[in-house]
Amino acid sequence: MKRALSIIVWVAVGAVGAAGFGAIALHRGEHLNAVWFVIAAGCCYLVAYRLYSSFISAKLLALDDTRATPAERHDDGRDFVPTNKWVLLGHHFAAIAGPGPLVGPTLAAQFGYLPGTLWLIVGAVFGGCVQDFVILFCSIRRDGKSLGEMAREEVSKRGGFIAQIAVLAIMIILLGVVALVVVNALKSSPWATFTLAMSIPIALLLGLYLRFLRPGRVLEASTIGVALLVFVVVAGQWVADSPSWARVFTMSGVSLAFAIIAYGFAASALPVWLLLAPRDYLSAFIKVGATFSLAAGILLVHPAIQMPALTRFVDGTGPVFSGKVFPFCFITIACGAVSGFHSLISSGTTPKMILREGHARLIGYGAMLMESFVGVMAMVAACAMTPGVYFAINSPASIVGATPEAAAGTISGWGFPLSAGTMTGLAHAVGEHTLLNRAGGAPSLAVGMAQIFSNTIGGDRLLSIWYHFAIMFEALFILTVLDAGTRVGRFMVQELGGRVWKPFARTAWMPGILLSSALIVGAWGYFLYQGVIDPLGGINSLWPLFGIANQLLAAVALVVATTILLKMGRTRWIGVTLVPMAWLVIVTMTASWQKIFHPDPRLGFLSYANAMAAQIAAGKIPAAKIAEAQRLIFNQRLDALVTAVLALMILVLVVEALLQWTAILSRRRVPVLHETPYLRTRWAPGAEGVSAGGDD
Amino acid sequence: MRKLLWRISKLSEILWRGLRAWSGDSAYENYLRSRAVRAAGCPPLSRKEFYVQQLNRRYSRPNRCC
Repeated sequence: MKRALSIIVWVAVGAVGAAGFGAIALHRGEHLNAVWFVIAAGCCYLVAYRLYSSFISAKLLALDDTRATPAERHDDGRDFVPTNKWVLLGHHFAAIAGPGPLVGPTLAAQFGYLPGTLWLIVGAVFGGCVQDFVILFCSIRRDGKSLGEMAREEVSKRGGFIAQIAVLAIMIILLGVVALVVVNALKSSPWATFTLAMSIPIALLLGLYLRFLRPGRVLEASTIGVALLVFVVVAGQWVADSPSWARVFTMSGVSLAFAIIAYGFAASALPVWLLLAPRDYLSAFIKVGATFSLAAGILLVHPAIQMPALTRFVDGTGPVFSGKVFPFCFITIACGAVSGFHSLISSGTTPKMILREGHARLIGYGAMLMESFVGVMAMVAACAMTPGVYFAINSPASIVGATPEAAAGTISGWGFPLSAGTMTGLAHAVGEHTLLNRAGGAPSLAVGMAQIFSNTIGGDRLLSIWYHFAIMFEALFILTVLDAGTRVGRFMVQELGGRVWKPFARTAWMPGILLSSALIVGAWGYFLYQGVIDPLGGINSLWPLFGIANQLLAAVALVVATTILLKMGRTRWIGVTLVPMAWLVIVTMTASWQKIFHPDPRLGFLSYANAMAAQIAAGKIPAAKIAEAQRLIFNQRLDALVTAVLALMILVLVVEALLQWTAILSRRRVPVLHETPYLRTRWAPGAEGVSAGGDD
Repeated sequence: MRKLLWRISKLSEILWRGLRAWSGDSAYENYLRSRAVRAAGCPPLSRKEFYVQQLNRRYSRPNRCC
């Protein structure tokens, strides 16, 4: 009876999900309601979690709750801390959810709502969740070893080296591109710049409070910090209204880029308790709070989706970034569907804190479903605004024009009606001078969020406050990724440098700290500067580069997972990891090829460089601009080289893995598995209710 | 009614404990309770020492994603 009821319930959930999917895929004509997105995504996630993740747990991984996890084996109260599964789910979600699932879907909305939404849901269910879950399982079985260590032990030494280089490469490109998103959101905006600038003294104040006054009292310090942040969001309006103060905080893109580079250096070199950690606490609270508020706002307001299912830009001529829907939709939306970076968290802190193997399903698979839902919400927020406004905010001036009149003319010509007055009025309503040409996704997402929030609380009166709250929320946790990433990058540089000259690896040696910080900040700072001066807006070149690097890491993770599963003899269901891996390799290689060699100068790095060089040779560029043009040519060639190196690394790793798999399957080689030996748990079932530790 | 109040207070207690664990507010208490500290002969770290050590360890590896 119980079983029959369960079947009926799950068939009903599946049917409702299918109806939701049908609505978003087949609906044409009148505006679709955003609730269909929530229904389609929610039901698909429930069915996928109930059926697919349970199949993976039982058949592919054979999770064993009687086996002691690293947290039980080593229980040291520091790294290895047995933690309640719901608390660990919160930890893991807060760690994996960054700006990617917000920015990627917002940019991909230029294709229409359909391709991005389908990829977010299908990609997460069959790709991202599987990657996070299987890597978490592999790491639990290896005492919490990192992806690089597992690649070295289970694939080959070369595989481990590739993983290490891929992590460093993705870190540098990621930091450059997310910093560019912040610059594009803050430039010429005194209100937003003031708010974000004030978050630094607030973080310093909290750092001192937590270090000297009330050590480790995170909740009370964070409460004070969040209250101060809300105050500075409101106070930003007074700054913007005061001509003298507004001048101080009105900064150009280049000045902001240098300010952020200086900040990144300081955050990396200063003691971690002073700036980085307190900012991270604030960011985590704001991030989780704003995400839940957005979900509640969408359910309450259930806005109509204004963007069509497919736009004319699926043909690759999009103004936000160039390239056809295949492969660029799958590269643009990395986080939210499949993100290689997650494998670092799944093989980092989380496996050391998990109480039982069985919890890996909820934490690995479930947290990624939550992140995918964040991506769907970002898609809803971007598509709920008028398409003309969306394109005006996200397109560079070189394509749509720098004035409201020019932008309105160009965008209306594409079939998305827009008047200059709409853009001027909207900018005024959100307290900005202009919203034009702010490529990067953050401002358009902030407008979408502000419209949803203001329809829930405050109406048009609070639109400007909500807009700047949303900008602060995005910029705050982008800066958290920036300073945490710079610090980790610094350690990686020190470790690599230490192989050449040993003292360099000493993490407490000040010259080493300063030099490695300068190297890592210089590397991502260069990409940031290149993006700021790029006439096509920077995002067009750098976001795909970041997507390729991130998917490269996902391919590395899935190669490692497939190799381990083959060694374990789980060949029957190997398609679970093999198919997403093959898909990622196809997507990444196609995108890399097109980004390097495509004849369209807006898409291909080399053709852009060649077109520029031809213009110089033909004397079409004024003498004063030649140096700038030559710098652009160098940058495009550098991007082509970086893309080629990333693609080559994937090829080497795949060939290496194929050789290994053939040897295992043909039984020419006895597979050696580096699992920790079985140890029976001494904790009784139900012990998870007692322990609720956490080091984060 | 009393049962309902009891349930609400129990739920609030669980949520509060979860929030403290998630944010790291109770990390030091958990450290004091850990097997390694109980088994070791030497005195445990002070709250201040534990806090700084913990942060240095946490931020030396990837802990925030894109």
